Amino acid sequence: MTATMQPKSEAAKAPLRGRRTPGAGEKPRPRSTGLQLGHWWWALPGIVLVIAIHYVATGIGGFFAFTNWTGIGSFKVVGWQNFEAIFKDPTKLGALTNTMFLAFGSVLLGNVGGLIIALGLNRMLKTRYILRTLFFMPVVLSPLATAYVWKYIFDFDGPINVFLTSIGAGDLAKPWLADPQWAIWTVLVVLVWGSTGFAMVIFMAGLASVPVEVEEAAAIDGANLWQRFRNVTLPAIRPAIAIATTLGIVQGLRVFDPIMALTNGGPAGATETLATQVYKQAFALGNFGGGAALALVLAAIILFFAVIQQRLTRSNPED
Amino acid sequence: MKSERLDMTQHRSYSALKVGALAVPTIAALVLTGCSAPASGSSPTGGAQEFTLSFATSNTIESPFQVLAEKYMASNPGVKITFNPQPNDSYDQTLRTQLQAGNASDVVVTSPGSGTGRSILPLVQAGFLEPLDAAAKELVPEGSEALFGTDGKVYGQAPEITVVGLVANETSAKAAGISDFPSDFASLEDQCKSLASSGKSFIALAGSAAPNTGLMAMSLAASRVYAEDPKWNEKRAAKETTFAGSDGWKASLEAVSKLNNAGCFQKGAAGAGFDAITKGLASGTSVAGFIPGPSWKQLKTAAADSEFNVRALPAEASSEGFVYASANYAFSINAASKNKDAAKAFLDWAAEPEQTKAFAEIDGALPVTGLDSYDFNGGAYKNVGDLIKNGKYGPLPNSQWPNSAVYDALATGVQGLITGQKTTDQVLQAMDTAWGQ
Repeated sequence: MTATMQPKSEAAKAPLRGRRTPGAGEKPRPRSTGLQLGHWWWALPGIVLVIAIHYVATGIGGFFAFTNWTGIGSFKVVGWQNFEAIFKDPTKLGALTNTMFLAFGSVLLGNVGGLIIALGLNRMLKTRYILRTLFFMPVVLSPLATAYVWKYIFDFDGPINVFLTSIGAGDLAKPWLADPQWAIWTVLVVLVWGSTGFAMVIFMAGLASVPVEVEEAAAIDGANLWQRFRNVTLPAIRPAIAIATTLGIVQGLRVFDPIMALTNGGPAGATETLATQVYKQAFALGNFGGGAALALVLAAIILFFAVIQQRLTRSNPED
Repeated sequence: MKSERLDMTQHRSYSALKVGALAVPTIAALVLTGCSAPASGSSPTGGAQEFTLSFATSNTIESPFQVLAEKYMASNPGVKITFNPQPNDSYDQTLRTQLQAGNASDVVVTSPGSGTGRSILPLVQAGFLEPLDAAAKELVPEGSEALFGTDGKVYGQAPEITVVGLVANETSAKAAGISDFPSDFASLEDQCKSLASSGKSFIALAGSAAPNTGLMAMSLAASRVYAEDPKWNEKRAAKETTFAGSDGWKASLEAVSKLNNAGCFQKGAAGAGFDAITKGLASGTSVAGFIPGPSWKQLKTAAADSEFNVRALPAEASSEGFVYASANYAFSINAASKNKDAAKAFLDWAAEPEQTKAFAEIDGALPVTGLDSYDFNGGAYKNVGDLIKNGKYGPLPNSQWPNSAVYDALATGVQGLITGQKTTDQVLQAMDTAWGQ
């Protein structure tokens, strides 16, 4: 309560500081105007830039979703035609399904993996600091650069197939990134590898707030390892789970560069996502209107999950 | 007073700092703009001629466009050409964005027709290209007039004739026991089977690269569609036929599956990139690849001991042979250019027979002029000489298609045929849908 009241009282006092009230007992400081936080119009250049770069540019892009512009020359307004085309085209619907699969799949596996690693590296291990760095490394590295490394690993002549052949399982060797069944899973593996470290960091922050005394008390009461995790640790890190999952979904929905590097959306569209389709339609195929419409659909989906994220974090009683 | 003076001094020095902080970048900006203006701008009234040239590059070998331009600078010391090479896979997008923004190079390399992002016709429609003079008009290959402009005007100057079919490593073919190159499609399938059993492949395919799978399908359509009906694209544009309703196109895509089933492609071809073609042909593990003819020269630099030739893909025994030979690139002048005179002077020079011959030699292509009297014997094009002399050739089909989505549907569809994700009918229907976009 104190924490919430304090800013209000500060805010209530703030305007009074600026007022010159004769006879108030305190002589106004000569440099008081210089110490003010400033006038609202000082922020005008920044506000104009933000509006122009973020909102006007996005608005114009949104307008093109209702046109047949090819990226050059003139265009006609075509209404909802581009949106109808999206929901009639099996490739775009496939891209929508793939986007959801990769977003939720990477969040599920990345968070479970991240939680297990965070629990493992929380207190006990001596090498936990080195291991934490190693597990966090994929988050820091360029997704595009690491995707090319993964592309080499999954290549037909790459280490996986060489290993399979060396152990006599050469029949299992396949072009992983060009296999209609396996390609999407290989992309998922790369995404999970990249997102686990991020989830781990969030969970480690959450685990740091779990009191050791409560865990010890539960242990003394006879709770086994699973019961302590289920009834003590998990409830304590619920806010961390909410943040990790929702941020992960938003991140997963807009995944682009690893897919372009790994499969370019192939084979035959098997790993296309909304983001790769936006790029291809707008820039490679000269269908700027269609690309802008797809981008709007993607933005709406991300917005939907961003709102959920807001709700979940707001419901946290500690806020 | 002392403290006040100190304050004043501090204030003055603070103000001086502020002034200095503002003045340094301002003066720097003025100096930079002042210095750069005469260097970057052309001098239409002055003696020096400057212009910029954009072209696509896909390897480390010096582009023939750059070599030609350097030759021009060497013979014209007053001319300065600034090169703007762009990666081939993003060239179309960069070119369109720059033209739209008004900051494209003065001379840009385009493609005839309308099937790609760098194609002349949509760029002309958007008003981005400058009409060229009679010298460029004379270089337009016969029958390709409609691909170079509209209303009798020409907007691209062809620098060479590119043959597109198979580039074969004849040395590795002989080493693999292929004494005679397959004369028809059935014998090609047989050769594929025997090579596959020895761990090699007849064709090196970049199955994950859409340009390569698309080129293969178009090569298969050469003898199945365009040999019999060179005007097929015009009929499709007039809605007299469709891809899905064409027996020739159906047979072409079925031939993809036949090649796949006969083991013509290297192992893991579906996921391979262009490096698989370079590696396969240079090392001799594959015999041929669907790549533009001039690539023979680049492959020769990687495997100097091998002989590379350009060939037409063997046709069905009942079909006539046919090969694609056309101007696939063109010089165009940016309509917004401020150095049009300098650019036109370069194009006029490049149109001279001596330069067209030199350009073809640099790139390993056929010259855009004098093809009738060209001596095919002994060169890399000796096996397609008869087809070209007998008129059994035409432009690449996709240059006449209305947009790049049709070719994308074909290329992606062929990937699907190889992996078993799609049927020929599905691919052809997708091409028809893309045509109407």
